[in-house]
Order: sequence, then C-alpha cells, then structure tokens
Amino acid sequence: MNDERFFDLAMKAIAQQATDVERAELDALLAREPAMRAEFARLQADARLAKDALSLVDATKAAGDKLPAYARGRLQTKVRQTLGHPAAKQKPDQSLAWGWRWILGLAAATAVIVLVALPTFRTPSGPVVQVAMLDTVGAVRGTGTNETEILKQQWKNSTVQTFDQTGPLENWETNWPTGGKMTAKVIYDRAAGEVRVVLHKGDKSQQKIFVIEHDLATTMQEAGNFIREQTKR
Amino acid sequence: MNPPDLHALQRGDEAAWDAAFGWLWPTVFAVAQLKLQPFLPDEVEDMAIEALEQLVDKVRSVKSVEELKPLAASISHHRAVNLLRERFAKKRGAGKTESLDAPMDEAGHTNDPVSETSPFAELEQKELAERLRRSLAELKPPQGEILSDFFLHGLRYEEIAQKRGVATGSVGVYLKRGLETLRKIWGRNKNN
Repeated sequence: MNDERFFDLAMKAIAQQATDVERAELDALLAREPAMRAEFARLQADARLAKDALSLVDATKAAGDKLPAYARGRLQTKVRQTLGHPAAKQKPDQSLAWGWRWILGLAAATAVIVLVALPTFRTPSGPVVQVAMLDTVGAVRGTGTNETEILKQQWKNSTVQTFDQTGPLENWETNWPTGGKMTAKVIYDRAAGEVRVVLHKGDKSQQKIFVIEHDLATTMQEAGNFIREQTKR
Repeated sequence: MNPPDLHALQRGDEAAWDAAFGWLWPTVFAVAQLKLQPFLPDEVEDMAIEALEQLVDKVRSVKSVEELKPLAASISHHRAVNLLRERFAKKRGAGKTESLDAPMDEAGHTNDPVSETSPFAELEQKELAERLRRSLAELKPPQGEILSDFFLHGLRYEEIAQKRGVATGSVGVYLKRGLETLRKIWGRNKNN
C-alpha cells in the first residue's frame, strides 16, 4: 500500500467518512504494520489541530455582517480619547504651507516680469546707425526708390534720410547723438558713386569711403562689415 | 471592501476608522461568536465591540495593514476565552448545582472552550495574531478552502472535487500539504 492510499484511508476514517470496506482495509494495514499506528495517531492530532486553527482562520476571513449603528459612536469616542484629533494638529502646517506658496508665487511673478521687461532695458550691443542718401542729380530721381530700398534692406533698424543739397547733409552729418555710444553715419553719395562711413564715439571720429565698384548692395555690405569690425574693438 | 489606510488610522482619522470598523466587524464578530455562541450567545456583540476598542489601543504598534485582521481576531478570541473562564469560575465558586459540563459533540468529545489542551490556550495575543497572519498568507486557494470543506464542513472527497473543480485524486494531496503547512505554523514548537 502506498503512502497516498494510507493517508486517504486515514483521513476518511478520522472524518468518519470511511466505508466499511475502507475501514477494514485500514485496520488490516495497521495490524500488519504497527509502525503505521504512530503515523495514524499523528494524523488524528493534525486533524484536531486543523479543526481548531481553521475555525479561527475562517472566522478571520469572515465578511457580510454589518457593524451595529449604536456601536459606531462608542468606537469613535474611543478613537478620539486614544489617538486624538488629527485635524487640529494639521492647522499650523497648513498656514506654513500657505506662507511658502505666497513666497513661491511672488518669486515666479517677479521672474516673469523681469523676463518680459528685460529686452526694453537691454541696450543694443551694436552701434547706432544713421543712414542718408545725397541725391543732387534730380534727373534720375526715379531710380532713387530702388536705391532707398537697398539702403533700408541693409540697415533695417534705421530710417533713410534723403538730401538733395549738401548743406543740410553737412548739418545732419555733424549732428551726433549724446550718450557716449558709438554712432555710425552711412552716407550714400549718388553723384560721387561712393558710400562714406563716419564712426563717432565720444570725441573720436573716423571715416572710410567705399567706392561703388560692383553695385550698391555689395558696397553697403562692405560698409556694414567695416562698422561691425570697428565696434568689436 | 478595501483595507483601510494604516497611517490614517494611526493618526486617529475618524473617516478612516469608520471604514476600518466596518471592515473589521465581521472578523471580530465571527471569532467572538465561535467561542461564545454555545455558552454566552448574548455576549457576542458586546465582546466584538470591546475587541475593536482594544484594537484602537494597539494600532500604533501595527506595522502593516495585513496585520490588522489577524490582530483583531486574536483580541476577540482572547477576550472571549477570558470571559468564559471568568463565568465558569464564578459558577463553580457560587456553588451552583447546574451542570458544569460543557456541551459534547456527536462523538462524545467535550467541547470545552477553556480546555488547556487547546492549541491556543498558551499562545499570547501577539503570537496568535502572527500565526493567523501566516495561515492566511500561506494557505493559498484552493488549499485553505479544501481544508475547511473537509475538516469543518465534513464534505467528502468527491463533493470537494466537484465543488472546487479539482480531480478527486488530488483532494488527498491538497489535504496532506495543507496539514503540513498547519503543523508548521501551529505546531507546539514555537520556533516553527
């Protein structure tokens, strides 16, 4: 007889589920092998242990019954008496949290204002460029519109002043803005076919003339490069 | 019903405790009923409430929410056993003539709730709770259910096989392994 068969017979006998045939088979085995009696006794003890333990385990897993309503108040009183009120303890923390929120909010708002306003306070890194065109040749004034566009294209942040006489141009040329920042005046003399650049900072001035060899746009780029080189120093 | 938030319970959160009492009530009631129903059925409900009150005292020593139900069951069990001892002692001391014999089952075995032969009589509350917790954790389905079917509800092998959807031949295997697990957890040697 194998162990499994013995176990099953023993369990059925202990639970009083064994048939007469099964009981006789078990009794015959126990008579034939007395050593199995100790094992049978152990299984009987295990069964008693199982009944006690499983009753408690099953009760622990119980579900369905509802707490009586009258018990709720009594139990909550016990909670308050034993563990106190958690809400009262949290209030100081909440006020502290709000204080920190105000500080963080203010810091964030300040950062936004600075970021938005910064460009207005930032002074341009490059010089101030003023542009003028001297057009004393009235007959070809129609082509001046294209040249004015070229000047505007090169000097996007500057207004192009147009003079048809040298006197007003000279006045314009000597009228430097105050502030100490480097200023460049770019004068396109149509009649002379040249671009004159005058740089001025403080009490120092320098001038360079660019002869138009190829076209006005190319010469303007050369003038622009000159101005950039001088302002880097 | 979901397990409660242990930290909220330990802080004394009333809403958390309200949910916890509802979650634990079936356990404490079932355990109290298990011990007291044959002898003091009128005391079952009060005993269960007192067990929950005692659990509130102990909640701050609990480390995980899985310990709550076994602890509640253990408290309920011990309080019920103590009540039985107290009442039985009073009866003996008062010289009452009514029978002191505890009810017997069909096989003639005494169902003495305070018998020193009970495997739980010498266990402290904390140790009983720990053994219950281990039983719940280690008797995985369908093993725990098959053990209960056989030892508590008296179902036969064939009936268990049909109920649990297992082969008849495997019922004995489940029982054998289950008994080994119970012996390991509940055996006399406390070092198990």
